[in-house]
Amino acid sequence: MTAWEGIAYGFGVALQPDVLIYCLLGVTLGTFIGVLPGIGAMAAISLLLPITFYISPEAALIMLAGVYYGAQYGGAVASILLRLPGTPQSAVTTLDGYPMAQQGRAGVALFVSMASSFIGSILGIIVLVVLAGWLSRAATAFGAADYAAMMILGLVAASTIGSDRPVKGFAMVVLGMILGCVGTDVNSGAQRFTFARTELLDGINLVALAMGLFGVAEVIGNIRNAERQAAPERVGFRQMMPTRDDLRRIPFPALRGTALGSFFGALPGTGSTLSSFLSYAMERRVARRPERFGKGAIEGVAGPEAANNAASITAFVPTLTLGIPGDPIMALMLGALVIHGVQPGPMMLEARPEMFWGLVVSFGIGNLLLLILNMPLIGIWVSMLRIPFRYLYPAILIFVCLGVYSVRGSSFDMGVVAVVGIAGYLMALARFSPALLLLGFVLGPLIETNLRRAMLISRGDPMVFLERPIACGFTIATCLLILLSIWQVWRRRHG
Amino acid sequence: MKITRRAVIALTAAAIAMPAFAQEWPSEPVHVYVGFPAGSSPDLLARIITEPLAERLGQPVVVENKPGAGGVIGVQQMLANAEGGHVFGTSINGPLTTSPRLVPDIGYDVATDIAPVALIATSPLVLAVNAKNEAGDLQGFVDLAKAEPGALSYGSVGQGSGAHLTAELFDADAGIEMLHVPFTSYAEVTTSIIGGEIDAGFMAPSAALPHVEAGTMKMLGVTSAEPFAQIPDVPVMAGNAGLPETFRAELWNGFIAPASTDPAVIERLNTEINEILQDEAVQQKLLDMGWQAAGGTADDMKNRIAEDTTMWGAVLDRIEAQ
Repeated sequence: MTAWEGIAYGFGVALQPDVLIYCLLGVTLGTFIGVLPGIGAMAAISLLLPITFYISPEAALIMLAGVYYGAQYGGAVASILLRLPGTPQSAVTTLDGYPMAQQGRAGVALFVSMASSFIGSILGIIVLVVLAGWLSRAATAFGAADYAAMMILGLVAASTIGSDRPVKGFAMVVLGMILGCVGTDVNSGAQRFTFARTELLDGINLVALAMGLFGVAEVIGNIRNAERQAAPERVGFRQMMPTRDDLRRIPFPALRGTALGSFFGALPGTGSTLSSFLSYAMERRVARRPERFGKGAIEGVAGPEAANNAASITAFVPTLTLGIPGDPIMALMLGALVIHGVQPGPMMLEARPEMFWGLVVSFGIGNLLLLILNMPLIGIWVSMLRIPFRYLYPAILIFVCLGVYSVRGSSFDMGVVAVVGIAGYLMALARFSPALLLLGFVLGPLIETNLRRAMLISRGDPMVFLERPIACGFTIATCLLILLSIWQVWRRRHG
Repeated sequence: MKITRRAVIALTAAAIAMPAFAQEWPSEPVHVYVGFPAGSSPDLLARIITEPLAERLGQPVVVENKPGAGGVIGVQQMLANAEGGHVFGTSINGPLTTSPRLVPDIGYDVATDIAPVALIATSPLVLAVNAKNEAGDLQGFVDLAKAEPGALSYGSVGQGSGAHLTAELFDADAGIEMLHVPFTSYAEVTTSIIGGEIDAGFMAPSAALPHVEAGTMKMLGVTSAEPFAQIPDVPVMAGNAGLPETFRAELWNGFIAPASTDPAVIERLNTEINEILQDEAVQQKLLDMGWQAAGGTADDMKNRIAEDTTMWGAVLDRIEAQ
């Protein structure tokens, strides 16, 4: 079946009335759980799983997928309005989205995030259709050494974002990496920093850490300023409309974000959180005036939002073409398919074409529905800011707790949120960047595991980072980036 | 049903007259703790059993997912909530056999705190290699490994995991030496074998099967005593390529109760679960997921726990001695 035939066939599947309704249900639910801080796609999909036993497998997959990518749209809303990322992926959107909201441009920020989310998704779908075969080969061609070299490049590229002083930023990345060490070491099986608590054997829960750092810390911070709540102006359609200059700033960051997101999404285990961070770092690098970042730069919203949406689409490549889930949510969706007796794997495209093409077409329909759903909602989201803090913040704390508890039903994680929240507040007072801590936390364990695995497989020969072509490319790029940074500093001092 | 005053009085009188006999169990919803997240293989397996169980018991059966530490947290949470006689769990072999040695302060003693109810299902592992691997069969693979000790590598899902211990057992019994590369999931192991980065891995048949059908992987042997129904063509490893006839390594999943549970309740649950496992539709559902329905008495499961604890204990001794 050619791609065109496949798409035509997919329309036949995705436009069935019941499938369409499940798609709408999925994306609507996804948007809302994305907006609520802490409650992510994982929790919603776990709750929906028993319902999927009673509907057709393609409708089930399309609905669950809708929740997954719908959450990426909603995640940005609370990031922009309240500096509370609805999902870890949108944490980086707080850096420039929130300053925009403070300048009274919340509507524009939301518009930018919706528009670039849409661009990222649609281009992601095209990448999925055209490059699925190539991407799935790339996913198996990536070895431990390649992952390690790539992650190190990511770390070097992103380690200066969102911080006014490089030393402070570096400190946060390192602290994040240390926190990432908590748990059972994959290579040796040794338990590190677990204090003999079984709850810590799998490490600190990412959602608990992110919600503590951003959510709880922000709530505590606002208690001090509660009386200074500025009633934001009513946002009409006019204020929501970006100026011509705003519009001009969307396409290129969105395209670059899509490229990054499409690539990282397809690699199992790297995920959309990383792609949004890297997109932000890239925008800052290529910007003519990087000092605008952190003060409401549109590029800082457009790039990451396009990236995480593109990643959430291409994340289905390894899942559908290889049967290899790239993250725990994908594993959950594969579980839903297994219940229906659909065995995910390399043969699924041939054995069950209705699943693959139906899903691909539903991505397009779902994203269109999301855009239609979200544009009129912008005004309503912004009016959320007029809710008095004394009602809004207790409600947020409740949602944070619900969300964190829903991840694995652990009351220990509640304690983690509380402790991290207080630490996050102190960090905010001292102007340390929580985003960089999160980056270190995500990247640190990935770098360590892959670096040690690469060395184990090469029997201790470090030349593997130059001998493998992919790894070699990333290693050279990392060296160039470091040299470039040194040269920039040198030129500033002597020029 | 119309609730008359007479019925209420009769029921109340009955409730007062009878002490907590097993006949009136269950009097409230039953909770089953699973140490893995919703949608995972142990979770789906538990739901295949709990759905008909709820019908038979006339009470809702709620699956409580408490994932973490390879299933240990599920067992801990079952024990922490044990009061009331309506709390049970399902567990894979790890938390009941090897975890007490590997996890410090695990907080339970399998022999005294846990009452086995019934074995639900077993699953063998297959030795999977890249389709382009020179070895045509198990003997060929062992020959390759012997030709250059330590040159072949295998992936597992972590230190002390079933995949790791099975490979160590295979190494010792076949007299070979392979390099252990730990990963965190079968998905990663599979990618790495297909990508040619590592040579082999012991994995669940259902994890390897799609790649075998796609022609990127092949299976050299299965670790069960008999050929496995899902992959009838794959030869058993026992007695092959110099391995002893007794070579057997299986994962299993069983229904457990806190040790304080009324023996009559355990008896009742054992009967129900055995009857559920007789159902051909249930057997087929399990097989599609790579599990063979097991069943048997509570003592059968107790013996299985003891046997496997000894067997894997010896493998762990050997790994620690290295």
